[in-house]
Amino acid sequence: MKKGSAYTPYLFAFLSLLLLGLAGWVIWKDEVQLRPWKAYQQEYKELKGAKLQAEYDVAKKEFDSNGNAEKLEALQARLQAAEEIFQSRGVQEKYTGLVGQLDIIEASLAQNQKKLQETRGKYLEAEYLYIRGQKEQDKEVMQQLQGEIEGLTENRNVLLERKSALQEDIGELTNEFEAIRAEIRSLHKGLDEKLMAIESNDRMSLEIRQIHIRDAGKADRCITCHAGIESSYRLSDRQPLTRHPAGFIFLENHPVSEYGCTFCHQGQGRATTSPDKAHGWVDHWTEPMHQGSMTQSSCISCHGDIEGLRGAEFISKGSKLIKKYGCYGCHMIPGYEDLREVGPVLAEVGTKINYSWAVSWLQDPKTYYETARMPKFYLSKEEAESIADYLFSMTGTTRRDTLYADEDIDWDLAEKGKAIWRQSRCNICHTTNGKGGNHTEIHAPDLSKVGSKVTREWLFNWIKDPKKYFPETKMPRYRFSDQELAALVEYIVSEFQDWDFEPEYEDPVPMKAESIEKGKALVQKYGCFGCHKVKGMEEMQDIAPQLRRAGVTFARSGEMEEKIGAELSSIGSKPVELLDFGKVKDKIPHDRLSYVKQKLRAPRSFRDDLRMPDYRLGEEELGSISSVLLGFTDASRPARFVVPSYAEIEEFEGGTESHILSGDFEKLERDIKCLNCHKIGNHGYNYAPDLSVAGSKLQEEWLRRFLKQPDIIRPMLKQMPRFNLDKQDGMIQGNLESSEIETVMNFFRSDLVTDDIPAFLPDLDDGAVDQVLEGKRLYDEKGCVACHQIGNAGGSVGPNLSNVGGRLTAGFIFKYLEDPQRYNPQNVEPKYGFTERERIYLARYLMSLKLE
Amino acid sequence: MKMFDNIKQSLIWKSMFRRDYKDTPRNRALAIFGNVFMHLHPVKVREGAVKLRYTWGMGGISLFSFIILTVTGFLLMFYYRPSVDQAYWDIKDLEFQVPYGIFLRSLHRWAGHFMVIVVWLHMFRVFMTGSYKSPRQFNWAIGVILLVLTMLLSFTGYLLPWDQLGLWAIEVGTNMAAGTPLLGFEGPFSEYLGITPYNDVRFAILGGSTVGGNALLRSYVWHCVALPLVAVVLMAVHFWRVRKDGGISGPHS
Amino acid sequence: MGPFIEIISKPDNIAIVVMILMVLFFTAWAFLQAFRNDASRKNGELIEGEGNGKVDTWKPLVRIELIVALVVFIGLTFWSLVVDAPLEELANPTLTPNPAKAPWYFLGLQEMLVYFDPWIAGVVLPTLIIIGLIAIPYIDINPKGNGYYTFSERKWAILIFCFGFLFLWILLIVIGVFFRGPGWLWFWPWEEWDHHRVVYEGTADLTNLVGIDSRSGWGFFIGGGVVTMYYALGMILPYVYWRKKKPEFFENLGMVPYVTVTFLFWTMLALPIKMFLRLVLMVKYVWVTPWFNI
Repeated sequence: MKKGSAYTPYLFAFLSLLLLGLAGWVIWKDEVQLRPWKAYQQEYKELKGAKLQAEYDVAKKEFDSNGNAEKLEALQARLQAAEEIFQSRGVQEKYTGLVGQLDIIEASLAQNQKKLQETRGKYLEAEYLYIRGQKEQDKEVMQQLQGEIEGLTENRNVLLERKSALQEDIGELTNEFEAIRAEIRSLHKGLDEKLMAIESNDRMSLEIRQIHIRDAGKADRCITCHAGIESSYRLSDRQPLTRHPAGFIFLENHPVSEYGCTFCHQGQGRATTSPDKAHGWVDHWTEPMHQGSMTQSSCISCHGDIEGLRGAEFISKGSKLIKKYGCYGCHMIPGYEDLREVGPVLAEVGTKINYSWAVSWLQDPKTYYETARMPKFYLSKEEAESIADYLFSMTGTTRRDTLYADEDIDWDLAEKGKAIWRQSRCNICHTTNGKGGNHTEIHAPDLSKVGSKVTREWLFNWIKDPKKYFPETKMPRYRFSDQELAALVEYIVSEFQDWDFEPEYEDPVPMKAESIEKGKALVQKYGCFGCHKVKGMEEMQDIAPQLRRAGVTFARSGEMEEKIGAELSSIGSKPVELLDFGKVKDKIPHDRLSYVKQKLRAPRSFRDDLRMPDYRLGEEELGSISSVLLGFTDASRPARFVVPSYAEIEEFEGGTESHILSGDFEKLERDIKCLNCHKIGNHGYNYAPDLSVAGSKLQEEWLRRFLKQPDIIRPMLKQMPRFNLDKQDGMIQGNLESSEIETVMNFFRSDLVTDDIPAFLPDLDDGAVDQVLEGKRLYDEKGCVACHQIGNAGGSVGPNLSNVGGRLTAGFIFKYLEDPQRYNPQNVEPKYGFTERERIYLARYLMSLKLE
Repeated sequence: MKMFDNIKQSLIWKSMFRRDYKDTPRNRALAIFGNVFMHLHPVKVREGAVKLRYTWGMGGISLFSFIILTVTGFLLMFYYRPSVDQAYWDIKDLEFQVPYGIFLRSLHRWAGHFMVIVVWLHMFRVFMTGSYKSPRQFNWAIGVILLVLTMLLSFTGYLLPWDQLGLWAIEVGTNMAAGTPLLGFEGPFSEYLGITPYNDVRFAILGGSTVGGNALLRSYVWHCVALPLVAVVLMAVHFWRVRKDGGISGPHS
Repeated sequence: MGPFIEIISKPDNIAIVVMILMVLFFTAWAFLQAFRNDASRKNGELIEGEGNGKVDTWKPLVRIELIVALVVFIGLTFWSLVVDAPLEELANPTLTPNPAKAPWYFLGLQEMLVYFDPWIAGVVLPTLIIIGLIAIPYIDINPKGNGYYTFSERKWAILIFCFGFLFLWILLIVIGVFFRGPGWLWFWPWEEWDHHRVVYEGTADLTNLVGIDSRSGWGFFIGGGVVTMYYALGMILPYVYWRKKKPEFFENLGMVPYVTVTFLFWTMLALPIKMFLRLVLMVKYVWVTPWFNI
């Protein structure tokens, strides 16, 4: 113990110092290490200060150089002169005297005020006593006090009057230089404001800032570091101090103060202690921040329609790809539930195609044509044959190929068919040998080698009435005569041959029963019915239990409840632990995005026995599809953020999907598929002009003539196809039959009109003026000629206006000029801000342009 | 110096401090029984009892941990609301917003774990030196109850952050209670008493059939009020008995 | 080695590492002092602390207390600075982690779930542990070894307690923390946690080993007989043995404490026995009844 006590003080001192050091560490950690935003805010403050200072310097320089300095000097000289007068003996004495009197009156007023207060207090007391006791003497006191109050008030008014008189007198003496001072101040105003901005920036304290969105329980502190995200200045190009990119799209529609940051960007909005924590790139945070275009996946949580949404181009592309490849056939994807299967019906495929072709197609569709949408299932030849056997067994008993050799072809007939092929504009949708297919959203098959694929008979029947074979096809029915059809088929069969095709079964061979059975099992296993209607499996795609009974095993239970593939309605929130990385566990990062991308890139890389086929997507394609899928989350958002889709609005307003089409026109449309190219409302495509208000926009006569003879000067594959060719001499007689033209006209007149567009131009009472000439003057003045052609003169950005008066209605032109984006938001024509009068002049001028 | 002397001579000083600092036997005794905190100790102790190698200091360290936990826990209560919607985010904000919040919480958690270990080792030491033997049998029993209380304090605190770690630890822990014979719905013979998940002992612990808002609130109240109070009372008895049973044990008693 | 580093560096598991180090250190220290004292006794010397006088509390004791408090506080502060308290994802009752582990100090109980049904592992055994601990002073009637470390004077008491504390409590916790992975399956620290691992553990009961269905009437009686005989023989055989050898021992102890101590002792030993049955013979239950299984 003795020995111990000798060392104890040192030990104690040492431990105390250690504790002190630790205390220092605690403070340093909390003040510096855990508050990295302090440095950012300080930097931002300095940058902003420098910017403001620079602005001030520029303004100062400008102020000085604009002769303001002299102006200021002159004013100051005047001020001095005025002050000198003021300081002069007589004036000054008078001023001092007046001020002295004012002081006395102020003092009297104060005294008066005090007395008034006292008396009022006494009065209130007397009033209380009287109300309670109802004694006469109290009432007397009350009355007496009332008198006193009145006297005092009168006195006060007199004083006030004298005060204002005195102030006026004083003002007379000082007015002049006060006015000069105000002038100097106003001259300085701009500069002073800038100085104040600098000062207030200097006073800004470093602190945690947040946007609290109460109903969502969010507190986004991102702006603590990203101090300049909303700024109008671009102070730095480095994170975290930059401005939000494309703020005019994103921030203008989603103000930061209202929406915060993490609704769109994800990440851990509350975190302030490190960038990784704030961005959610840490363990135990389930919503890591999106990067780059992936951020667009958040649009889905509020916006009903993403296609065409400005700033959502990446997911828009992804959404189109999902529709193109029909992912929803096997997976439950919200918003894509009601779409039709992407593949053709397989009911009578045995009568349609060659057996050898089917086998090679099943093994790898891309060997037939590069742009095939059907994915690769990695089937062996034997498996492909089994599937083909199963499909062919629905209509026959043999494996067979039909080939057309040169001697089988009627070349004269084929030559006639070629003309029909051209006039029918088949190449708008179909590609042949790298040509055509301009309308990319229809996904019609490539026909380069179709002659080796299908039989003449089938082709003939198909073109004659496509709906008979495949009720939901997008292929229009052309009104060909049988002779025309035969010619067209002859042309197709002769022209589009696959010279590498090696038929194995030109002599039919009977199919084996066990192979058919095996094929059926494979069709069930891989869920071909997700994309194709397969006879006997129509209900299959929705009923996974049937598959179970059929002996198909599911990789993970509980997933395939609705469809054959995993449900994707909350894939964006799925815990990473629940994702099975299988064989790629050590090869790719463990996060949702990498998982989904890998699934699309190489679906079988996870495990060998998986069923998902390979779509052979490019990196960008699979990126954009992933961004859509990851947008499907469980996260809730306030109802006020939701932007319903067009379909939802229609439904809400009591309509149905097809309410825009009705009566005979609807029947006609089903036949010739107007909406394959045109758009009406939200239906159809953007390949050809939007018809939503065509009834108000186009002149009836022009329309009638066009439908008869759809010739307008456009590139070949932008021209409307002829649906109804006359057989005589192959001469083009007209387009639609006259009764059908009436149907179209009626529909246009009754449904495709808007009250927005007036039937006539408003009258102008400017008598003498030649309105057409005025319009021409405006047309030249505003430089319309830079983009539009009249005759041969002018630019080619906008449409040729040579015959605009024969085509459009005056009311449409009048309304269109007010806001060119009104009927088509993608329109590039600038808004000129014409007055109503100018628009009338222009419309009158344009209506005068006609070609006969 | 003069001023210091004056202060020491003042009535106020003298009313607070009854002795000077001179190292005299009397002062050494006064230092102990003149001070309510020191008064836990006797004025003189057996020489062996002050040796760390004998006591390991585990009892004292347990008390010290308890004090740290009380102070940090008290401060944490300012920033914490025991409701399902708020608890987790309050804990998050301890790190992201509250000055020294994460340090406070870490200190509380590690001191809690430390105390559990120390209490076990205290028991181990007392067993190894046979200190539970007569006349200290009853104090050993109190010590065992304090040990159980320490673990219950830690257990109830586990749920409060309302994260996956806490939720499932409590789920696993309380699921065992469902196996209680007669009173737990998964326990033997309980069906004869009409026990269901909605009236069994687990329901009583959680205030529901699953770990939810009620369980969180119950945890909070037990953790912050009931268990510390009971522990403090039993600690008082424990310390008092140490002295009444003859001080820290040694080979002589 | 990857998973091992990951498991050991989980914030909460640092406490377990601290615990292991402290338990090892203090166990060694206790036995060291015990052996030293035993040696002193044998040589007729005074043992440590014997014959010591008293010292003032102020300051020798207060000084030690202060320094210990300082050291503890420094240690805890350092720990808190270097390791942040863990906070995982927001509680989600629909998403069960695998494995779901109880707080570390209850992992011994969770580990017992492998060998016993919840009503035994989670309720009966913990209750008996508490009762047993409280009962120690009343059933250990050996007057020696009061107030000093010794081994030779109370061999049995120390061996039984150390077995219970170090092996059936501390070791099971260490196993629960470091060796139990998904599905509560055994994973060596250097093994990757495979969430899809399946291990067939057998469902045979003890009576099945001799070809009798545990759910049959015979199975019931045999299983019940084994359990009953385990306790009955466990109480009677030592009684017969000691009655003959040390009759005075019983006179001092009395019948009720004897029954208590043997019951608790054999219950404690039931755990390692059940572990042996389960791990080596793949036996799930010894006794199957319509109401409970043991």
